[in-house]
Amino acid sequence: MAEIFIDNIRYEYEGNAKVLQFALDQGLEIPFFCYHPSMSIPANCRQCLVEVGMPVFNRETNSYDLDDKGERVIRFFPKLMTSCSLDAADGMVVKTHVTSELVRRAQKDTLEFILVNHPLDCPICDQAGECPLQIQTYKYGPEGSRFEFKKVHKPKRIQLGPRVVLDAERCINCTRCVRFTQEISKTDQLTIISRGDKNYPATAPDRVFDDPYSLNTVDICPVGALTASDFRFRARVWEMNQTPSIDITGGKGTNVDLWVRNNQVLRITPRFNGAVNDHWMPDAARMAYMAFNDHRISRAHLVIDSKPVLTSWTNAYETVFEKVQQVGVKNVAVFGSPHTSIEDNYALDKLFTNLGHSGALFTTHLIEGSGDGFLLTDDQAPNTSGCRVLGLTEIKPNEVSKKIAKADVVVILQDDFVGRGLIAKDDLNGKYTVYLGTNLNDTAHAADLLIPITCVAEHAASYVSVEGRIQRSLPAKETVYSSRATNTEMSVGRLDRFGTSFDNWVNDQNKVDCKPAWEIIADLASRFGFAMDFPTSRALFDHIASEITSLSGISYDKMDAEQGIVISKENVTTTA
Amino acid sequence: MSIDWKSYKPLLIPQIKGLQNLDVYEQHGGYGALKKVLAEKSGAWTTDNVINEVKNSGLRGRGGAGFNTGLKWSFMPKPDGGPRYIAANGDESEPGTFKDRQIFEYNPHLFIEGSIIAAYAMSVETVYVYIRGEYRSWINFMRKAVDDAYKKGYLGKNILGSGINVDMVVHSGAGAYICGEESSLMESLEGKRGYPRIKPPFPAQRGLWGRPTTINNIESLANVPLIINNGADWYKNIGAPTHPGPILYGISGHVNKPGVYEYPSGMLITDLIYNVAGGIRNGKKLKALIPGGSSTPILRADQIDGIGMDSDSLRTAGSMLGTAGMVIMDEDTDIVDVLWRISHFYHHESCGQCTPCREGTGWLEKILHKINHGDGEMRDLDLLLDLCTQMEGRTVCALADAAAWPVRYTITRFRDEFEARCKNTVYALS
Repeated sequence: MAEIFIDNIRYEYEGNAKVLQFALDQGLEIPFFCYHPSMSIPANCRQCLVEVGMPVFNRETNSYDLDDKGERVIRFFPKLMTSCSLDAADGMVVKTHVTSELVRRAQKDTLEFILVNHPLDCPICDQAGECPLQIQTYKYGPEGSRFEFKKVHKPKRIQLGPRVVLDAERCINCTRCVRFTQEISKTDQLTIISRGDKNYPATAPDRVFDDPYSLNTVDICPVGALTASDFRFRARVWEMNQTPSIDITGGKGTNVDLWVRNNQVLRITPRFNGAVNDHWMPDAARMAYMAFNDHRISRAHLVIDSKPVLTSWTNAYETVFEKVQQVGVKNVAVFGSPHTSIEDNYALDKLFTNLGHSGALFTTHLIEGSGDGFLLTDDQAPNTSGCRVLGLTEIKPNEVSKKIAKADVVVILQDDFVGRGLIAKDDLNGKYTVYLGTNLNDTAHAADLLIPITCVAEHAASYVSVEGRIQRSLPAKETVYSSRATNTEMSVGRLDRFGTSFDNWVNDQNKVDCKPAWEIIADLASRFGFAMDFPTSRALFDHIASEITSLSGISYDKMDAEQGIVISKENVTTTA
Repeated sequence: MSIDWKSYKPLLIPQIKGLQNLDVYEQHGGYGALKKVLAEKSGAWTTDNVINEVKNSGLRGRGGAGFNTGLKWSFMPKPDGGPRYIAANGDESEPGTFKDRQIFEYNPHLFIEGSIIAAYAMSVETVYVYIRGEYRSWINFMRKAVDDAYKKGYLGKNILGSGINVDMVVHSGAGAYICGEESSLMESLEGKRGYPRIKPPFPAQRGLWGRPTTINNIESLANVPLIINNGADWYKNIGAPTHPGPILYGISGHVNKPGVYEYPSGMLITDLIYNVAGGIRNGKKLKALIPGGSSTPILRADQIDGIGMDSDSLRTAGSMLGTAGMVIMDEDTDIVDVLWRISHFYHHESCGQCTPCREGTGWLEKILHKINHGDGEMRDLDLLLDLCTQMEGRTVCALADAAAWPVRYTITRFRDEFEARCKNTVYALS
């Protein structure tokens, strides 16, 4: 196997490898700005320079020349090389800043140059705290600057498109954003304009940067040049907790991170998963954060004279029990939903089958033509395949109103039938409608009893993507009943761990009075007289996995370790 | 080295009236080399033989780097049936350089003939001629010449019944120095922003549209018919042995007769200034000269004695041949002002792709502007040299070097003049 020596340590590699990526894969650190593993290599930032040499091979003796000490004679290249674009070669010797004074000097020099015209407005810059330029300047930069002139001034606050704002002065011309629109989203909407130190990225005149993936450029921007209009100046990075989760606005199962402060999700960013979404996510999916914070159903409500009135959980359970008893379980229409998790749907289905009901129905939420073959899918729901895996009865969207017409009591779990136009508001007249949902929507407004359930940002639960990949979410924000301190599934941020009493970051604002649907259903089950006791959704999932063959052997831990597991395709594609 | 330049008859731009017209060019033996090659394409002039002849002639690229042209041709991979290109570089954007436009204006068919032979030798069917955008008239001259060559069957399909096809496209640049750099020239031809590409891969491996491409200077290609007509041995004996052939010297600045002069390579600089260009104007004394375009290191008057205009000789003097665009400066020249002006140019023309050049060129200019206005301090000179070190060899293309060298060499060779302009740096005792 081919070998390469980096800072006097021998590594083996196979096939073609670029030195920078290879070093990163080994856990070594070489600073860089313009390089991105999913895009082409322009080698323009010149920050990843390394000293490179090759052993002298003697063709006559068919071996490497050795010096007096028996070491290979190394002939170093006269110039420093950019490790990002450098192909590893057998026997190559690489010196990074760890062993080379020349490289340390070059890194300092490059950073000094980059900072010459950079505004250094870190205190008010959104990128501060997660800024490669800030971090690398701290680690590898010069002690000060010898630049004593007025900086080049460039346009600021340019609204490139509906979602992205440019500060051209902060830009270091790495061209990541330009390459993203050329190579990943393929809209070619950005280019670098002007020349030399006046360079900055822009759209063509009178064109708008409305790429459906435009916000990814904000993520990959190594400085604060590109910011999201939506998130600008809303939070400092270190004030937020970062929680891995799954996108619920589509069927792709895009891996995301939820960023939470004061129990509000402030932004959603993509999380790398090479098998699903690489480093990217569509802009539309980022907007889901609003639904996690706003227009939430908090505490159970009875709708009396079309006005929602607060009620207790006990009263809510009692009402459901009474209504079902009154009409008989056979006259209840029960709807599960591709918009919520495996656990919630399983619990709902189980409750009613135990009562002698034929089980929960569900219908898909497809919008033909909204998929793009990349990360957007026709499927608007995150768990259509999950409903199929569970064996819920799939009905066509136009059959929903027929099913409701035949029933006296309607139980709907997190599916806005009215808002989607599957039924009219009046179709629910004369029925007793129980809506278990996260948000106030048209269906909630038409219901008689509202029971608030947790959204993906508040619970640990699993979802199956259109490609049959089961992945799970983690609770990112607290509810009235959950706490970061006691819930072991919840992430703990920097301030949780290291904050002092001066860092007033914990508060009880914005906590929604809701519970996971499976927990509510378990409570209902005990009212109906049988037990569905699970301490956590983790335990519930283990139970489901033991019952459903295609999920056997899968657990939360396994999903976490393998970044989601593809379950057999047959189980997810059957249609009713 | 003494070169008999007085009896030299120009070969690239002979003194023939109307030579830019195809009929006159033909009357004087024009396209003879092409006919000769095509007539014996399976005999004496196979593609390999043409390449070897050019290689053996010792012709070195006239664009500045001085690489053996035939050797460069031999790097082209074997034809695989796909397209291959020649890009003729007529961007001519290096300050002090204005030689190729003489070819465009006075002898375009010599260049066209050379390009067709080169295309044949490398099995290329498309030649792009990239001409500096500011050369409006010269682009028109070239377009007319190319049209005429098409009409006479020298270009196009089945040239002179030989079965060889060569198309020639005249392309206008849009006013960027960087597009004279071969890889950004290719980007520009492809319709993209003129950013240099990283090497490897080299153009012969992946050039225009990812296909094998050779980039040659206009003057280099114009030399090819001469080599074919007279043989490599004849060519080798013109001028300096390691850098043979006729050279178009572009002489500008404080001389009595500035202009483009064709003489053998290796001409003594003193001959060129005092005999060819009529000496320094107003009887002044020579102070300095830039031998081959603004990026080549400046030479003091006391450094040029016995130095010829070829790469080896100039290297001993501490400079380079470059494009042989000589800028002559007399004793009244303010060298600080000159350097500021050169730095201004490189600041203006840096494409901005790589950090050291993008930021360094601007910084250099700002310091030099300060010094030029009498506000400089002694320590600024050392900072300038430091910045040169930080730029040299750290970028994708050679523009950072081109911008740093004038600063480095002008300061080291005229340090006293810079110091005279600078205030002493005084540090408080602490």
